[in-house]
Amino acid sequence: MKNFYRKVAFGLGPDEKVPSDPLEWAKDQLNEIPEFSWKGKILPEKELRKFYGEWVYGDRKVLRKKFKNDKDGYKREKNKLRHATGQKFWWNLELCIRYSEALKSETPVLAKLWYFWGNHFAISEKDFLAKYTTGAYQREIIRANMNQNFEKMAQEATIGWSMIHHLDNEQNIGPKSQEARWAREKGKTKGVNENHARELLELHTVSPDCGYTQEDVIQMAYIMSGWRPKYGKKRLETGDVHFNPDAHEPGTKTVLGKKYKRGRKSLSVAITDLVNHPSCRKFIAMKLCRYLITDNPTQEMMEPIIKAWEKSDGFLPEVHKAAVEVAFNYSDKYNKFQNPENWLLQMSKMADVDLIPSPSFMDLYKLGNKPIKDQRALERLMDELGQHPYLAKQPNGWSDMSEDWMSPELLIRRLVYAREAYYKKSGKSQTTEFYEEMIEKNYDDPTEILQIINQHKELVHKHVILFNLPETLRS
Amino acid sequence: MKISRRNFLKGSATTLFLAGFNFPVLANTDKKKNLVVIMLRGGMDGLCAVPIIGDKNFAKRRKDLILDETIKLNSDFALHPKLKNFHNLWQNNLGAIVHATNIPYTKRSHFDGQNLMETGGHIPYSIKSGWLGRGMKLAELKGDGLALALPMPLLLRGIPSNDNFYPSKKRLPRTELLQLLKSVYTDKSEHDLANMMEIIANRSMMSSGGTSMSRKNSSLAYKAGLELKKINGPRVAVFEVDGFDTHAAQGGVNGSHSDSLIEMDSIFKSLEKGLGPEIENTLVLTLTEFGRTIEQNGGRGTEHGYGSAIFMAGGLLKKSQVYTDWPGLKRKELFEGRDLNSTIDARSVYASAMSTVFDTDFKRVQKEVFWGDKLQDLSDKLFKI
Repeated sequence: MKNFYRKVAFGLGPDEKVPSDPLEWAKDQLNEIPEFSWKGKILPEKELRKFYGEWVYGDRKVLRKKFKNDKDGYKREKNKLRHATGQKFWWNLELCIRYSEALKSETPVLAKLWYFWGNHFAISEKDFLAKYTTGAYQREIIRANMNQNFEKMAQEATIGWSMIHHLDNEQNIGPKSQEARWAREKGKTKGVNENHARELLELHTVSPDCGYTQEDVIQMAYIMSGWRPKYGKKRLETGDVHFNPDAHEPGTKTVLGKKYKRGRKSLSVAITDLVNHPSCRKFIAMKLCRYLITDNPTQEMMEPIIKAWEKSDGFLPEVHKAAVEVAFNYSDKYNKFQNPENWLLQMSKMADVDLIPSPSFMDLYKLGNKPIKDQRALERLMDELGQHPYLAKQPNGWSDMSEDWMSPELLIRRLVYAREAYYKKSGKSQTTEFYEEMIEKNYDDPTEILQIINQHKELVHKHVILFNLPETLRS
Repeated sequence: MKISRRNFLKGSATTLFLAGFNFPVLANTDKKKNLVVIMLRGGMDGLCAVPIIGDKNFAKRRKDLILDETIKLNSDFALHPKLKNFHNLWQNNLGAIVHATNIPYTKRSHFDGQNLMETGGHIPYSIKSGWLGRGMKLAELKGDGLALALPMPLLLRGIPSNDNFYPSKKRLPRTELLQLLKSVYTDKSEHDLANMMEIIANRSMMSSGGTSMSRKNSSLAYKAGLELKKINGPRVAVFEVDGFDTHAAQGGVNGSHSDSLIEMDSIFKSLEKGLGPEIENTLVLTLTEFGRTIEQNGGRGTEHGYGSAIFMAGGLLKKSQVYTDWPGLKRKELFEGRDLNSTIDARSVYASAMSTVFDTDFKRVQKEVFWGDKLQDLSDKLFKI
């Protein structure tokens, strides 16, 4: 049962009491969205996007032209522009905010589910999204909607600037639209880009299980045509998303048998229908079970989550409570191989590793400067561990399947960084007593675990072994 | 311009005709053969790497990017002067090029293009495994892949238990500790973990005094060569080279495109060094998402294009050659009036390579890895079979 604390959160830290009712402890964390526990600076997405715009404009429209014959000069000036727009700093700040929720907040269960949703509506590695806006998108659109219906999160994520740009919807132009006609007059062709529409169906809502066809994807793309950033001469593609009727495909569209009229409202109506489709709740229930419990969820596991969804109309706090309850009920039967990020956070929480730089240290950063090495520690660490949360390779996010995280090099990183982490602990947590108490609190069979790690004398070795035991790798 | 499109087509029609009637019997040779794929990310400019000789259209449109002192390969094509190692291979019949080729992707997004070059599909993000992973699965090569990257590239996905190597900058824990974990894994029936720990423990003994290895592609390639050489080592290796997206200051011999080409060239050299005589049983191929526009842009760079080239190296090549169905560079011959066309589906080259190296019938590769798409069997044109 004690693995439940790691399954739905990151284990119990040294200052935390063992909850008398673990399930209530978990559920209580899911009603409200508290303020961030990070006490340093937090920038709005809009401001970060402005920096993105300055970077793209400066590089594309100014430097490339100015230094067309000077490779080294171009590189030098580009570097200056990077720092002038904080390109190497913001995502490190975002990681501090992100990990404070796991390690320093009263709501680690909410944090673990926040990471789930950020990965569900993933913004993967594209252009400079990760470096400027992905963290903020996950704060303002994902986390902020975790006490709302799933529908609201889906609506906002879909027309969020990050997602629209990430999935190329700015290039999605109705072939019979005004804009396509203008293009034809100039001898060019413009047409539909299905990327975003496909992912909305496949990854974000109903999944291929619902049986949509390629024609449904195209029709969905027609509905989405015209949703794009307001283009500006200086901000380029980083303007706010709006609906441009000139690029919208005229006529009625049909998706999954339902008809939608032309116009701005059709996308929102279509999303409402998608999130209410039975395949959508089934898909989300499956993914939640896969994330928390096992690679291959059973129908029985998914059922209570689907029921909670139906009863509450997809109200996320209720869906989340149902999911943690299922995780609780199956905690003795199933262990889930943890991805590198969750593994690191568990180790940091339980063993009291000083993972996150302090707010005052991060706030020392001055725009225009290169960040100090230690201000970039988290970015480097996540890259080393093989799972930077803002750099998923594809729009389907980081994998929730164990086999994708099992490779020799990825295991080496856990060995190596367990050791590194030990040296980032305060002296008072580098004692045998500390470890005994922590193991007692967090593992079901403390005697066996102590027996294994005690085969090595030095505490640092015990630490490395503990965090690479199957009991830790799987929770 | 001495090669004529007409002549080539006659030749290829014959090939196709013969392939249709020829059901090769595949013998299991006891020689271990290796396949190496180098992914060139950002859009490799085939016309910068392997320029055409004496084409007025080319000279006119690229006047600031034309290279001096190119290395002449044959009467039609030259080689970028910085590709010295590749040229050495070429001179020993260990280097060849397929030109005017690309995956069947005609839009211009890196993001989508790189996904498709790895999955081998037509619709971005619709396939979740790589063509190489599926090919290995078909040939039952579980546990034979080595990625010089972290995490596992999409290209290799589709078959479990691949190895990956990307030196950590920190020291591994002592061997006794690794052995203890291995025995715990074994006791608890965690076989996958135990196998991985075995690989890691062997690796730690090989490293010299715990100093961290360089992550440069040239040193990774040497290491990969040593592993591929082993009779029970991996049979497939994958590399990545970034930085081909040169919208500005692409430059000539010392431009930014050259920097990335030089890195690719260093992989050839180190692989050859690591492999030693086993280079004879190895095939190295490059892979990119698209080529670049013929016309230079305002920043003396190039934009995203279509047709590119594939570099090939190793003793499994038939001979040194530039294999192409040259489409020409007149405006009407260009793709959308701006890019070198692709007249050979690059996947035909990859399917033929897998068929040759994995000793698997081409038709099965075509059907099971590439969904029966229309591909040509180029094995007897390009490789020793």
